[in-house]
Amino acid sequence: MLLQLNNIFKWVQSGGQRVFLLKDINLEVEEGEFISIMGPSGSGKSTLLNVLGMLDAFDEGTYNFLDEPVHTLKEKHRSNLYKQYIGFVFQAYHLIDELTVYENLEMPLLYKKLKGSERKAMVADMLDRFNMVGKKDLFPTQLSGGQQQLVGVARALISKPKLILADEPTGNLNSKQGEEIMELFAQLNKEGVTIIQVTHSEQNASYGSRIINLLDGRRIGG
Amino acid sequence: MYRLFLKIATRYLLKNKLYSFINIFGLAIGVASFVLIMIYVNYERSYDTFKGSENVYRPYMDYLEGDTFVPGDAMTYNLSGPTLKEQFPEVLDYVRLYYFEKLTFKVGSSILEQPLGSLADPSYFDIFNYPLLKGNKGTVLADPYSIVLSQSFAKRLFGNENPLQKTISAFWNGQEAVLTVTGVMADIPKNAHFRNSFLISYETQKTWIDFGPRMHELNWNMNNYYTYIKVAQNTNIDILRQKIITSDIEENKDERHNIEALEEIHLYSNKPYEVSANGSITRIKFLSAIAFIILMLSWLNYVNLSTTKSMERAKEAGIRKVAGAKKSQLIVQSLIESVLLNFIAIALALTIVLILLPIFNNLTDKDFSLDLNSLIRFLPFFAFILIGMVLAGLYPALLLSSYSPAKALKGKMRTSTQGSNIRKGLIVTQFLATIILLVGTIVITKQIDFLESQPIGADVNQIIALHGEVVTSKADSLIINDFKVLKEELKTLPFIENAAIAQTYPGDSFDNLSSTRGIVLPDGRREDEKVFYSYHAQPDYFDLMGLEFLAGGTFLPSTDWEGNQVIVNETFLKTMGISSAEEILNKTVSFWGNNDWRVSGVIKDYYHFGLKNPILPTIIRYQRQVSNLLVKLNDSATSTAGFGSAIGDIKTKWKKVFPQSTFNYTFLDQKFEAQYQQDKAFGTAFQVFTLLAIIIACMGLFGLTSYTVVQRKKEIGIRKVNGATIIEVLTLLNKDFIKWVTFAFIIAVPISWYIMNQWLTGFAYKTTLSWWVFALAGVSALLIALLTVSWQSFQAAIANPVESLRDE
Repeated sequence: MLLQLNNIFKWVQSGGQRVFLLKDINLEVEEGEFISIMGPSGSGKSTLLNVLGMLDAFDEGTYNFLDEPVHTLKEKHRSNLYKQYIGFVFQAYHLIDELTVYENLEMPLLYKKLKGSERKAMVADMLDRFNMVGKKDLFPTQLSGGQQQLVGVARALISKPKLILADEPTGNLNSKQGEEIMELFAQLNKEGVTIIQVTHSEQNASYGSRIINLLDGRRIGG
Repeated sequence: MYRLFLKIATRYLLKNKLYSFINIFGLAIGVASFVLIMIYVNYERSYDTFKGSENVYRPYMDYLEGDTFVPGDAMTYNLSGPTLKEQFPEVLDYVRLYYFEKLTFKVGSSILEQPLGSLADPSYFDIFNYPLLKGNKGTVLADPYSIVLSQSFAKRLFGNENPLQKTISAFWNGQEAVLTVTGVMADIPKNAHFRNSFLISYETQKTWIDFGPRMHELNWNMNNYYTYIKVAQNTNIDILRQKIITSDIEENKDERHNIEALEEIHLYSNKPYEVSANGSITRIKFLSAIAFIILMLSWLNYVNLSTTKSMERAKEAGIRKVAGAKKSQLIVQSLIESVLLNFIAIALALTIVLILLPIFNNLTDKDFSLDLNSLIRFLPFFAFILIGMVLAGLYPALLLSSYSPAKALKGKMRTSTQGSNIRKGLIVTQFLATIILLVGTIVITKQIDFLESQPIGADVNQIIALHGEVVTSKADSLIINDFKVLKEELKTLPFIENAAIAQTYPGDSFDNLSSTRGIVLPDGRREDEKVFYSYHAQPDYFDLMGLEFLAGGTFLPSTDWEGNQVIVNETFLKTMGISSAEEILNKTVSFWGNNDWRVSGVIKDYYHFGLKNPILPTIIRYQRQVSNLLVKLNDSATSTAGFGSAIGDIKTKWKKVFPQSTFNYTFLDQKFEAQYQQDKAFGTAFQVFTLLAIIIACMGLFGLTSYTVVQRKKEIGIRKVNGATIIEVLTLLNKDFIKWVTFAFIIAVPISWYIMNQWLTGFAYKTTLSWWVFALAGVSALLIALLTVSWQSFQAAIANPVESLRDE
């Protein structure tokens, strides 16, 4: 089992009242799954994704990741955990505008304190795999949205994570570009990477093996 | 529309409190510092100005040293004035002043001492256009035994009575003169190099003063007078100077007359035997530079912050453009904001100035005020400030209006490389100035420390010089005897270790020494060019002052040659080319028409003129005359009842011996230190303004970081999500600042080295510009920069990336 959420609650205080963002979420994810989280705006999809990615804390419940109890871990330990096992893909790509494609890809490796030669090999590998060798010296603003997201996915993959969390990865793309990204995800999934994506689109969700529906912070249906 | 602009501007300033505060406060500090310093600078530059002062010059003596003439003496001969007037038609008139540092007066039964006054020619009021309140300008100083009092001195003597035609007695070395008050003059302003509180007619000296008849006789021997000449309107002064220099009016080849403008004496002259301690043009230049630097820094801050801020407002500008605003309208709007902000800053600055002015007056012992006159003199500076402000406001305005609306609306406004280069340049400039100021502060402090810790070669601690005017009709020899009695009396006091009599002491002014040239040395050599200085003392002086003998010893009383003994210092030997003490010991030298001076000792060099001046060749003569009774206290004086009661006991003894007298005392160590009091004050001013400059620079940096951090929020978030630790983010954010400070440091080192080297040339004994001075300044600047940026960087680094990455 890759991860397990038990009775997760998350709320904010608003005017003396608790507003629940997540309510009693239970979820088990096996390695190799491709899960889509769906639901209307404000239903808690992104929040859930952030909790899964350990970027956000929760108020109640337990979270085990690879049998490590995340809720009891210290910040440092937790960040080591996600640094090692999780890659993120964002709707707005979140590439650093001042860095080239190459440097954007290299960045996570720098933070893992890998050697220069090793980094070079890994970045080259990734560029090769995504057919971006010719674009490695371009800046993000010189790329189309689809290409930017490709870089975003490549960056998420470069440190060989077990799990990729994607927050509406195709939200800013046209349908053709979106399809390409989803194909890529399916391909990655086949290679054994676990993927959890937030999406609005039924079509995107169909690439996955399982759908989790949220409404007002609560799981509904299957 | 303008009202609307103003409204928006006000709202904007209120909404962005941190930004407004930093900008307004920074500008206010800058402007206030600038105004305060400029008030001081203006004041120093305003010395000796009155109607017609531009035509007044002071002749002085140049002395030949080797092959060149150097300024040698601010005083001239009693023939100088009359001769110049006679030989050069441009010279319309002259006045000679014989200066008293203080004089004792007696009115009825009260005896009092009044500082600062002169004997003066009747032409005084024609040349110094200071108001005469009572009396006739043409005749007040015409007759012998006339005196003109300053308003406050008249009040001190006579209260509210009319002083005219009243008589008072003045005592000079015990000689009484009965003077008639013929006039009252307005108090001379503090910004005059020569402050007279009384003027006695020049003719009085003939019959009054000791050497009167000899001094009064016209001669080229005694240069004891300050002479001032008035030249005709539109005289070409360079030509006149050239004529005077080359004229050789007194036939002595070793010296010549020269002239300098009255208005320039205070800041530029600084010759031996000045009437009062001069200001220094170097200090004024330094202070002006600091004033401009601080003002510049605050403007740079402003430009920097508002430029950064304008990017945040790009969207607003875009919306306005889409809504139809013209470029010029956007510029005007932005300018209105900057005017409003600057206006508040100036108002705040003036408030600060008004609050600080009394303290500033106190600190500098001057009387600055913001009256109409000084405000008019200030107009160019205000114009300068205003122009600077408009320019500072213009750049961000142009920048803001130049954004293309489509881009601006997308909110995709990022720093252009050019813009960020300009900002980097501004930051580097700020740090450049900061580091230079820091180096300056450290060097000045180091130099003052150096001066204070330098061994003087004499022991001035716990020594008091007692002086006072004895009003008596006794013969001189009897008074001398009274002093001897008093000295022995004082020695019996438990807290007095020793006592001695001398004409002067280390740290006293040049005035109490005579300068002479022309001496015949033991080997028969005649030395006519080299000036030496001399004063008299009695045998126990050397022991009391802790002066060490290289050879020989102190004066021996009751020998055949008793009154002909002299003691010379090491520098005297060096200057006169005498290789060893033995060569001169117990031999005779001749000067002053006496060819039987017997050298009874050679002392080690000590700093008689303070550490700002070099050690000069000195001869100390044995003479039974009285000027200062020096008393050394032992530790029990401080430990038991304190100085106050010790002084009280001494005064009682003094009054017992001299019932009719004034009593004064000076602590030698304090007097010695007073010589570099001005440098100390300058050091303090430098420190204060450096601190202000640093505060301004820090505020700018703080403001700038807050925007950098906002701008890079997303980047920081991405990096954190991708595994960057807090330390790594901090490094990322602070790296640039370190780079800039380092760059500024590299430029600052040679500049500050050059400037401070220049400053140090004003001292005869100077500290070294060690490498650590620069290192300390650089490291301090770096630390200050890091501390300023780190708080915000840290906040950014620990922020949850989820916040910054939430999709738009």
